Formats: sequence, C-alpha cells, structure tokens
Amino acid sequence: MTFKNVFISIIIATTMILSAFLIHRARPEIELAQPSPEYIRATGKCASCHLKETSAIVHQYSMSKHASENITCYECHRALDGQEELGHKGFTLAKNVTALNCSQCHTTEYDQFIRSRHGAPAWAAVTGRSDFTEEQIAFAEKFHPKSVNRGENKLAVIEGPGVMEKGCLGCHAVGKPNSDGSIGSCTACHARHSASVALARQPETCGQCHMGPDHSQLEIYNESKHGVLYALQKSHLNLGADPKTLSTKDMSVPTCATCHMSGLEGMNITHDVTERLSWWLFSPISKKRPNYNLGQEAMKNICLKCHAKTHVEKFYREAEEVVIATNGKVQNALNIVSDLRKDGLLTPEPFDEPIEFIAFDLWHYAGRTAKHGAFMGGADFVQWHGNYELLLKTIEMEEMAEAIRSKSHQKN
Amino acid sequence: MSKLLRPTPLLIDFFIIINLSFLVIDIYVAHSTNDFSHYAEWIPFYFSLIAPILLSVEMWLNWNVNKPSNYFLSFLVGGLAILIGISGLIWHLHSTFFEYQTLRSLVYTAPFIAPLAYTGIGALLVMNRMVDCETIEWGQWLIFFGFGGFIGNFILSLSDHAQNGFFIFYEWVPVISSAFAVSFLGVILLRNSTIRFIDVSIWIMIIQIIIGLIGLFFHSQTILNNPMSSFFETIIYNAPIFAPLLFVNLAVLAILGLIDIRFKIEMNL
Repeated sequence: MTFKNVFISIIIATTMILSAFLIHRARPEIELAQPSPEYIRATGKCASCHLKETSAIVHQYSMSKHASENITCYECHRALDGQEELGHKGFTLAKNVTALNCSQCHTTEYDQFIRSRHGAPAWAAVTGRSDFTEEQIAFAEKFHPKSVNRGENKLAVIEGPGVMEKGCLGCHAVGKPNSDGSIGSCTACHARHSASVALARQPETCGQCHMGPDHSQLEIYNESKHGVLYALQKSHLNLGADPKTLSTKDMSVPTCATCHMSGLEGMNITHDVTERLSWWLFSPISKKRPNYNLGQEAMKNICLKCHAKTHVEKFYREAEEVVIATNGKVQNALNIVSDLRKDGLLTPEPFDEPIEFIAFDLWHYAGRTAKHGAFMGGADFVQWHGNYELLLKTIEMEEMAEAIRSKSHQKN
Repeated sequence: MSKLLRPTPLLIDFFIIINLSFLVIDIYVAHSTNDFSHYAEWIPFYFSLIAPILLSVEMWLNWNVNKPSNYFLSFLVGGLAILIGISGLIWHLHSTFFEYQTLRSLVYTAPFIAPLAYTGIGALLVMNRMVDCETIEWGQWLIFFGFGGFIGNFILSLSDHAQNGFFIFYEWVPVISSAFAVSFLGVILLRNSTIRFIDVSIWIMIIQIIIGLIGLFFHSQTILNNPMSSFFETIIYNAPIFAPLLFVNLAVLAILGLIDIRFKIEMNL
C-alpha cells in the first residue's frame, strides 16, 4: 500500500511538473526571452511593468550598447542636481531626461555638442535669446557670433505659435535650453532607448531636419555619388563600429557623420558638427568662418581617405567659385529690395510684400541649394534647383521692382 | 505517538487567528503597489484587522465553558472570509484576464489565487466548529485545506515566476516541491494510507517548510539589493517577501492533519 501510494503520488507530481514545463514552453518567445541579461540590466523593476506598457522601449534598450555595458534604466533616468523630480513606483526619477543625464558619462561629447551650431544657436534661430541665461549666451557667442544674442525669427512669429511648436521647433529643439541648465537633446540623433551610434551615422537621421528647399542636404547627398554608393552598399557597412577605432573598412562609403564628425582612421572625433566647415553657407551672403583654415584642413583630411589630393583641391576650388558667384547673384537680388526700401517704396517690415518673399526664396532656397550642392557633389542642385532658380527669381524681382516704381510714379 | 502531540481545535483556532492577523500586513503591502486605488481594496485589510479580535473575544467567552455553543462570531467571520475570498478572486481576474482571456493575461494579472487564502481560512474556521475533532474526518479536513493551499502554491509559484520567465533555474524549485505536496496530500485524501506513507508525507511537508524558508531568504535578498528610495517601497515593489511563508504555513497545517490521522490510525479510531 505504501509503495503504491508513493508511486501514485510521484506520477501525479511528475504530471503536474511536466504540464507546468510544457505550458511554460508554449508561451510566446518574447515572454520567455524577457529576462535575458539585457532585460535584467534594464530592470530592477522597470521592465516588468514596461513590457506590458510601452514594451518597445524595453526591446529597443535590450538591443542597445547601453544594455551590453550594464547600464540600467535608473542610471539615465535618475534625477540629477537641478532636475525636477518625479516619484515613480518607489524611484525618484528626473521628470525630463536631458543632455545633462547623458553628460554624466559622455562629458566630452556634450562639451563638443554645445560648442556646435546644434547647441544654443539652433534654438535661438527661432526664439531668439529670451530662453537663455547670460552665461549661456556668452558661451555660444564665443563660437557663433550673433547666433544667440539676437531677436526671435520674424517669419516664425508671423506664422504663429502653433506652427512654431510643431514646425520650426520640431527640428530646432536639438538646442533647446533645459530647466536643469543643460542645453539640447542627444536623443534627436541617437534616439532615446536605442542610444544608437549606428542610427546617428545614417544619413536619414540627419535628413530628419537637413532636408527640404531651405537646406536640402539629404536630397543632395542622395543624388551624390556618396549617397548612391550608400544606398547600394549599406549592407556591407559596419554602422555600429566603435567610433574610436572606426576605419574605412567599417565605413568604405561616407555618410554625413563620417565626414563631419567621425574619427575615421585616427581623426579627432567631434560632436561639434561645425568644426570641419569653412564657410557660413547658410547665410544669404556666405563668408569664411573664423576657423576657415583649420576647418577646411580637417575636412580635406577626411576627403583624402578616399580621394587624391589633386582631386580634393580641385573640388574645393570649384565649390568656392560657386559660393563666390552665388554671393554676387544673391547680393544683386537683395540690392533690388534694399533700393526699393531706401526709396520708401517698401515698408520696413519683412514678409508683408510679395517681392520680399521672392527675395527670401532666392537666397534661402536657391542660393543655399546652389552652395550646398557645390560642396556636396550635387550637380543638379547647383544647376536646376540652384542657379536656374536664382536667375528666374532675379528676373521676377526686377520686373516686380519696375512695376512698384512705375506704380509709384503714377501715384505721384 | 504521544497523545500530547495530537492537535486540538484550539490549536487550529490559534492558527486561524495568527493567519488573519498576518494578512493585515500582507494585504497592506500587496494593495500598496497600486496605492489602494479602489476603495474595495481596503475591505480585506479592515476585515483582517477586526476578525482576529472577534475570534479572540469568542474564544475568551467560551474559555471556561464545558460545551461551548456560542459560535455566532466564528460563523460570521468564517462566512465573510469565504465571501471576501471569492469576490477577491473575481476582482483580481477582472484586471486583465476577463478582458483578454489569454495565458499572458493570466500570468500578468493581479495574483488571482491569493484572495482564496481568505476562503480557505474561513472554511477552515467553519469546519473547525462543525466537525467533531474526535472523528477521522477532522484530520482529513485539515489535510484537505493544506492540499487546497498547495494547489494555490503550485499555481502562484508557477505564474509568479513565469513573470520573469524563470530567469534563475531554481525558481522552478517551489513549483516542483508544491507539486509533490499536492500529490502526496491528494493520495492520502483519496486512498487508504499506511502509517509509513503518512510519515513520508510528513517529511515531504517538512521539506516544504525548508523550501519556504529558503524562498524567504532569496526574496529578501532582492529587497536588500535594490535602489529604492525608502525601505517600505523596496518591500512593495519587489519580490513578494511573505509569499514563500505560505509554504511554511500550509505545511504546518497539513502536518497537524497528518499527525491527527496518524494518531487515529494507531488508535484504530
């Protein structure tokens, strides 16, 4: 009787345990895989709830470099000095995770970033100086004179606050001043939970903002040989390669980040995206940047990874010719408006007369496009989207100016 | 076996009072995870607070009575406990299970078996009043409650540890051990058993006690290694600290039943 009972008991227990194993095995892979080491690093407790709510962020995190380096959610989300606190399920978190949190570990990158045009000048280009402290203004002005100590953007003001928030600031928030005293958002390029270097190296990431008629870098890149090669050979690139040891074997084809930021084969890595630039191409009349020689030399050194020196020099010479020629064409067109204004035939206010919009389109769209096209190998953008438009709009402006003057004569 | 070791209804009453009192802390911690977001979550808390007092009053009133018959408070507490347990079960499942009816929703719902602790305690109390402790039936009922509890332990340890995908292999240990507890107690209830088999079952229960205490150690380790802002929050938002003690608790109840039955078999009652 004893043996029979023990035998029956063991059979029942084994059946129960086996059923439990089988049910557990039948669960979706995604739930069984939940507590991989990456998940555990993600937690403490976070992933257990966030897999039910906002599950994608946990998965994004688990694939990130941060996860493989044992960084937990809390290390990025904890409240630092000066940050507004948020009590959440027993944790004291930062209400907003900002560049300050990233700078705990990535201090050099943050310091470089705030020196760049992506820092305070990006935000001030829309809202002006009002959101910045005196120290922040002084710091930014050292590197980008008149870029922060300025008024708000007139066009943005005319278009109104709704447009400003969802439109202009959608991109310009990359340099937003945060309430904790830091500036900007690293996640604009790296994404939040992926915290991805590979993502930041993709041209599409830069193209979130650097696209469209006013700065059509993505379109120019796609048309250029660089872009065509990238489209065809992307699968051969090692976009996630360690920035410190990045070689042309990893990135045999350049993306925006390769030329403007990377430490390709011993170059200095920089998060100051303006460091290797030599001209203020975005201005109506482009001038040389204060670090013209250093910037151009640094960029040329990158070019030399793929191109012969003679080719690089020729490329720069031709591009600068386009810049100088464009400056002349733009200046002529802008003179038409300034002469009219001088003669009292236009109001002093911007954006209230049709000819001002044509003038704005001329330098802001056609002029910039021609110059960017010349420096980025975009032939079509130098010609049809650039110089052809410059000519067309100049003729239109001359006709409009003549009409304004004759109308004024008739009145008098 | 010595007559002194034989369990009595009074011992079971103490067992019930201790359990209800402990539930005050347990419910407070458990429902604090969502800040007692619904007023009904306070019902089991206040019930657990008042019920032991009522039972103690009744025990005191009946203390010197030869044949106590004033059991109104026991039946009241027992009946309410059964009701609270069943309502709690439905309420807990309602959170997501009734919405999706998937294995996932069952795993990640509020611990749906947990409220049945009240039903079990309530039914144990009623049984203790209605069944004569001199009959073999009384001991069998104790084993039955232990058996039911271990079914709960099996499901809870399975679904709770499934939440983290049995990340550490020894999270399977309570599932395996409770399966053995269920099977051995089940066989005793359904088949004639020898004293040797009862002794084996008592050892199986002693193993449950050891596993419960080891579980308490591991659960407390997760509390000691967490970056919460306060100790209370560390307890709330961590591995359920008291859950492994259910193994100890139910094993003790089952052992009382097993000893009672063993005694009665020895005495040929």
